[in-house]
Amino acid sequence: MKTRVVYIGAESSVTPIGKSADDNFSAMAKGISAVRIRTEAGFHKQDLPLSAFEKKAYRLPFEELVMEAFDASLKGIDAHILESERTIVLISSTKGELAVSITHPFRSTLRHLTGKYLLKNEPVVISNACISGVAACNIAARYLTQGYFDHAVVIGCDVLSDFVIYGFQSLFAISQDVCKPFDKNRSGVVLGEGSAAVVLSVERNIFKEHPLELLGGAISNDANHISGPSRTGEGLFRSVRKTLDKHAVNPAEIGFISAHGTATLYNDEMESIAFSRLDMSDIPLNSFKGYIGHTLGAAGVLEIAYTMQSLRKQLLIRTHGFQETGTSGKISVISETAPASFSLSLKTASGFGGCNAALLIRKI
Amino acid sequence: MNAVITSFAAIRPGSCFVNGTEVCSFDTETGVSWFRQIYKFLQPDYPKFYKMDQLSQAAFLSVELLKQYGNRSIEVQQEDALAMVFANSESSSVTDLLFQDSYQHQGSPSPSLFVYTLPNIMLGELSIRNKWYGENMFAVFPKFALDFYSKNAVLLLNETISMVLCGWINVSPEKQEILVFTIEKETSGINWTEEQLKTWL
Repeated sequence: MKTRVVYIGAESSVTPIGKSADDNFSAMAKGISAVRIRTEAGFHKQDLPLSAFEKKAYRLPFEELVMEAFDASLKGIDAHILESERTIVLISSTKGELAVSITHPFRSTLRHLTGKYLLKNEPVVISNACISGVAACNIAARYLTQGYFDHAVVIGCDVLSDFVIYGFQSLFAISQDVCKPFDKNRSGVVLGEGSAAVVLSVERNIFKEHPLELLGGAISNDANHISGPSRTGEGLFRSVRKTLDKHAVNPAEIGFISAHGTATLYNDEMESIAFSRLDMSDIPLNSFKGYIGHTLGAAGVLEIAYTMQSLRKQLLIRTHGFQETGTSGKISVISETAPASFSLSLKTASGFGGCNAALLIRKI
Repeated sequence: MNAVITSFAAIRPGSCFVNGTEVCSFDTETGVSWFRQIYKFLQPDYPKFYKMDQLSQAAFLSVELLKQYGNRSIEVQQEDALAMVFANSESSSVTDLLFQDSYQHQGSPSPSLFVYTLPNIMLGELSIRNKWYGENMFAVFPKFALDFYSKNAVLLLNETISMVLCGWINVSPEKQEILVFTIEKETSGINWTEEQLKTWL
């Protein structure tokens, strides 16, 4: 089987705390969080903490955020790759532009994207709940390593809506306070919105700044419950195990884990169990959700962008909201932002439908 | 490596087909849902079926049809050996509309509907039913295209996967397209074509 090296770079990120991956990362390094109490955001007009753009910042938020992240990433590469039939665009999202069309939430954005950039291949939406972004990067990596395409742009985006806010409220999964990943007093997710993009290529020279290497990983299902994580972390365990095996990587080589860390009781507990089963208890681990909330289908790509920034800047960002250990599996939650010397990072995600995904990113 | 379509199942108005042959028919006029009638015919003894939304019911039944009548080797796939590649054009909109109605007109957002407002939930249901822990992906694009499945299937079969279960599942008042099929490495000479599959959509 033919396998090729996949480079990843030109990361972008558009959230309420910044318009570029660098802006976002610098803000997080200073401890700035986008989470604010929003008045009357809940179903019963309750005030809720959210990471939201100012109202009216965007007319068509999904489409505009997709384009904004895409444009920002294109600035970091030789944009001629868009003219190639060897380029594919993947969009990771759960709900698209619900406010425009509940029955076809992606259709107009896909059409406009194809038209505006004269894309040679129809973009594909990957909709695997909260693992969508990591899943899309894994799919794209497989296309590239085995030679189906030479370049891929993965864009993650989800926007806030009554639909999603009321839904999470109905599950009693929303925190009334800031979100506290892995903390003893965590009480649920804080929802957020935003977009991010990364460019994958087998050609190193399309990137203006040094790229990193993407080691495409695996997806596993818990085969246990559609809306609750496995108590043993089975799917996450398997997805990480398969990812390590695929690249013959030993846990001791990993210097940083960007975990999912939604701050729900069960998710964080599950992750702690999976990571301790994987002999990863001593690897520094964080969740970025305290800064930008849980952005669902965008989260994977956003957090991959921040993981890349962590590798580039050799800086580990503290888990905003975390104070006191509150999981039964032993994990090393990063509680102070500090420089570190490391070259390999693991990114994981878990989501509804029992799905789990992992991948590795290496500094080269 | 040659990857081929080794079996398929489709649910059409009034009938279920496996590898092109009708295996059961049902009444579309009685007001009893198609899916309940097919469930009664197949008798999978899986009460959780009744809690599922229409998309998951459609995926569940078509895969049960394929297991019982089309491709016995699905059942012998070990835990991580089977991958699922599913897609549709309408995401979870049939259930999204019901959930929206629950908070707009029925008094409060329904948690039991909300958990089905993601299209990949059907993959979770299939994983739970069959104890499959393997790769699973769900994509949304405008029209059925075999190319998407065959590309991803070949790549997965080149890795550690031995069978790829594919699905195109749309269920809405205007559109019922329910098709599942398996892609495997060529061994037996069976190979259904895209044209043959498309006639069942």
